[in-house]
Amino acid sequence: MNKTTKGLFLFLSILLFVFLGQLGYLFATQSVTQEAKEKKQLFVSLTSLPDLAIATEADYIRHRSMSDYFSLFKEGPFLREYFVSSYLYAPSTQYFTARSYEK
Amino acid sequence: MRNRINFYLLEYALHSLWRQKSKTLFIGLVLTLLIFLLSALFFIASSIKHELAQSVDALPEITVQKLQGGKHTNIPSSAVDTILSIHGVEDAIARVWGYYYFQKAGVPFVLVGVDPFEEQYKKSLQKIVDNYEISSQEQMLVGRGVYEIFKEHHYEESFNFIKSDGSLYTLPIAGVFTETIELESNDMIILSKQSAREIFAMDADMATDIVVKVANPEEIAMVASKIQLAFPDARIITKEALQISYANIIDYKSGVFLSLFIVSLFTFFMIIYDKLSGLSTQERREIGILKALGWKVELILKEKFYEAALLSFVSYLVGVSVALFYVYILHAPLLRNIFEGYSVLRSSFHLPFVLDFQTLALLFFLSIPLYVAASIIPSWRVATQEADEVMR
Repeated sequence: MNKTTKGLFLFLSILLFVFLGQLGYLFATQSVTQEAKEKKQLFVSLTSLPDLAIATEADYIRHRSMSDYFSLFKEGPFLREYFVSSYLYAPSTQYFTARSYEK
Repeated sequence: MRNRINFYLLEYALHSLWRQKSKTLFIGLVLTLLIFLLSALFFIASSIKHELAQSVDALPEITVQKLQGGKHTNIPSSAVDTILSIHGVEDAIARVWGYYYFQKAGVPFVLVGVDPFEEQYKKSLQKIVDNYEISSQEQMLVGRGVYEIFKEHHYEESFNFIKSDGSLYTLPIAGVFTETIELESNDMIILSKQSAREIFAMDADMATDIVVKVANPEEIAMVASKIQLAFPDARIITKEALQISYANIIDYKSGVFLSLFIVSLFTFFMIIYDKLSGLSTQERREIGILKALGWKVELILKEKFYEAALLSFVSYLVGVSVALFYVYILHAPLLRNIFEGYSVLRSSFHLPFVLDFQTLALLFFLSIPLYVAASIIPSWRVATQEADEVMR
């Protein structure tokens, strides 16, 4: 193994170290702790409402799980892509799955 | 012994990469960017799914909503008694909630009415509310995003809701939800059911919808069908349906992912097509000279494998590392706009970190083997020809 190869291995080791170090750091500091999970569950059981407050522009996006394909019709039948979020979040398949209990 | 790394070959591959600096740099950069973009999106998507999965157990088993002309409308509270009479129902609660549009800021808030703040309630509330001031009067608890908007409009102590008749309804702010639950509570206001009814001008015998608790999960389907029978105009949402909805919130059918996949796959196909359509004269000559010097096909392919593997592996490591830093430490500037859409009320986008080996493996197999194959196949084509034919 000469100098160039040693340099390559050193470079690869540094990259791997940064990658694994970052994974470890994020896992230790930014994963959901048991306490945080309990807090989230406490809040959700208080409101008993699903979904996250990331996109709040329309009710069928904010509470997407409680809407169906046709919730968008309230805004007008041709407004499929009026909000950018409807381009990202898949529409809820609620209308079809809501009756899944009948199977 | 045959499988050991040949350091001479590795060194040769390194020099070969170095000789074609600009080409190496360009391919490396494109590959890194592609992996970075895809992995950043995958990380955000898997974090959102993970965040949703955290609280799915706390959701009610069945939600009953009344539909009228295809639109969700208020349901009489008396429906609770009918539902409670069904065997297997543990509890049924008439819920009062809705959206309040704060016109000045152009922001919709989610108002959720809960039963009067009882003692046991207050104790659990203290865990999720910062600086919670207990008081016997009507009050509200607000999410961080809501509080920021209130402060911007100088409502630091209380807020005036405009009722349907135009009069004001003032509620003091009793506390702000803690940062840990920001993704769930950012746009939420929790107040008493009575206050919520006042603001929404809703009759006392009406509710927004009804949530039903069923003790035995085996009985959910039966209870749901019985409720449907009792209320044919109702939309019944079971917990199972919510779980399915959570699972496919961001799926490959939705626009952004589909278009990104198409773009990235096309880029890969372009690289592969470019590679397969033939090597440059310089590369062909290089292989020819090596063959003339006595290199076996196997050695040439091994050297090409080292070159491609090194380049794609380094791109993978750099791309994924930068994406991790970008998503979880910088909180995905620019890219988060896609996820937040036109929302005026922005959260701080502190996503929980999930060590998702599936995503890492998907990205690995999408980038490295494809690129290595794209490099080796044309080299193999050339290397199997006679040396003089190649160099001619």
